[in-house]
Amino acid sequence: MKKAFDRAFTVLIAALTAVSAAALAFVIFFIVKEALPLFETVSLKDFLLGQRWMPIAYTGSVSFGIANFIAGTLYVSFAAMVLALFFSLGCAVYLSCVATDRQRSLLYPVIDLLAGIPSVVYGFIGIVVLLKLMMKLGVRTGSCVLAAAIVLAIMLLPYLISGCSESMLKMKNRYMPASDAMGISQWHAMAEIVIPAAWKNILLTMVLAVGRAMGETMAVMMVMGNANLFPRLLGKGETIAAVIALEMGTAEYGSDHYHALYAASMVLMLLLFVINIAISLLRKRLLEKEV
Amino acid sequence: MKTKDKLIRLWAYGSMAAVLAIIAFLFLYVFARGYKTVSWEFLTKAPAGAVLGMEGGIFPAIMGSLAFTLTAVVIGGIPAVAAAVFVVFYCKSKVVGTVIKMIIECIAGIPSIVLGLFSYSLFVRDLQWGRCILSASMALGIMVLPFIEVRAEKAFRELPPSMIASSYALGCSRFYTVSRIVLPACRGELVSGIILGACYAMGATAPMIFTGAVAFAKVPTGLLQPAMALPLHLYLLIAQGATSLDTAFGTAFVMMALILISNILATLYARRRSSQWTRS
Repeated sequence: MKKAFDRAFTVLIAALTAVSAAALAFVIFFIVKEALPLFETVSLKDFLLGQRWMPIAYTGSVSFGIANFIAGTLYVSFAAMVLALFFSLGCAVYLSCVATDRQRSLLYPVIDLLAGIPSVVYGFIGIVVLLKLMMKLGVRTGSCVLAAAIVLAIMLLPYLISGCSESMLKMKNRYMPASDAMGISQWHAMAEIVIPAAWKNILLTMVLAVGRAMGETMAVMMVMGNANLFPRLLGKGETIAAVIALEMGTAEYGSDHYHALYAASMVLMLLLFVINIAISLLRKRLLEKEV
Repeated sequence: MKTKDKLIRLWAYGSMAAVLAIIAFLFLYVFARGYKTVSWEFLTKAPAGAVLGMEGGIFPAIMGSLAFTLTAVVIGGIPAVAAAVFVVFYCKSKVVGTVIKMIIECIAGIPSIVLGLFSYSLFVRDLQWGRCILSASMALGIMVLPFIEVRAEKAFRELPPSMIASSYALGCSRFYTVSRIVLPACRGELVSGIILGACYAMGATAPMIFTGAVAFAKVPTGLLQPAMALPLHLYLLIAQGATSLDTAFGTAFVMMALILISNILATLYARRRSSQWTRS
């Protein structure tokens, strides 16, 4: 009886795992399947490199080119990551070297609150605070890539801080006793030993953060202006995710527009897969040498 | 040398202060501008007004959000914990483990808007469920699955191996070990992971825009009905322009308060559990 129960549980667990793995794999398959019909009418080159996005033929011909959206996605993600990295590294130095265990156990949950705030709320505060500020600084209507990058940078902070401080703490515990014994000042040891030693892990965290940034939709969409332009820091831009969110409701089911949105999703997904693969390769190469 | 040390010190203290200031600003700003709007009426009435949402409350949106979140956590949470148990305690082949891990990582990388698009095509259109709580919760569930799985797996792997080994050595079956030792020992992390996953699902707008959340609906009574949701309600209020700014702040207030409370509860629970376990 007991044995049968045990076996049933094994089967149940295995089945649940198999079903979820299969369902998740199906999601990827489904997106690719819906994307491919587009390439019967539009060539891959035009799609990736074209700058005209005219899903409906009001004037002239339809055209699907997402070069600007790809550029917008990459631009805003990297800008946000660089902005956030500056503060995250500083915080990580503080958390790993200055803070006591007690302070750390208090500060981490507080910083994690940032990860819990819904992205619409970020977008909302971005509109009422940041865009007004941008308008005062002379940006017309206020919405621009810089505003989106700032909002996105704040959203990335918790991930970057926890990633950076974790690896710095590890390195500090490894090298600090020896450096203390030699009488090197704590801050000097931090700059010359701990940060360089943790650099590889920090790089991984950065790549991860860029991936996260690229998928963000609502907050970015609300402050970036959503115009099909090549992104400039103070100009408007549009990300792939924003195109999908804005046009999903109006695309006719089964039309080229509909398939183009799927193709855009696929491109976004591919970008993220490339990042994922890069992470696992980096992890292997960087961390193997370390041990 | 000395100046460099000083600069680093300044940088560390400065960034920490800046980040804490940002966090304080976000919460205080929303609370300060939202608290006037939030009243018992606001929490228990339906939205009203010439431009919808200008007056009235957000009761259907709160209930709708709860419905979306609960359904999503059931859809995503159970398979997530099961998959974590399987990967850590049952899976013997390395290949199968790696494949499962890879799929979960890939899904974690898919942007939520793409999951929304997927759910829209498959559940709303192809399977004819229409826009309803279930369609949106499928997207949300897939979104939180990796989120919860990663946390559960981490908790399982951090258990002392000696504990598991002792249990096997005493002749306990795997089912007994998992249900009587592993799950109780990790309950704190599991519950907090699920609560945080629920917060994540509650705040997500992108997957539900076209799959289940609507601008106005009554309090839902079944899973195959569309419903209002707090984040989408907030988005629409802002999209209307300046007329509904007060109710927008009120809605943001409610969401931030929910997030804050659940985060505190999750942290406290996980801590209490882990201290109980390490003491005994």
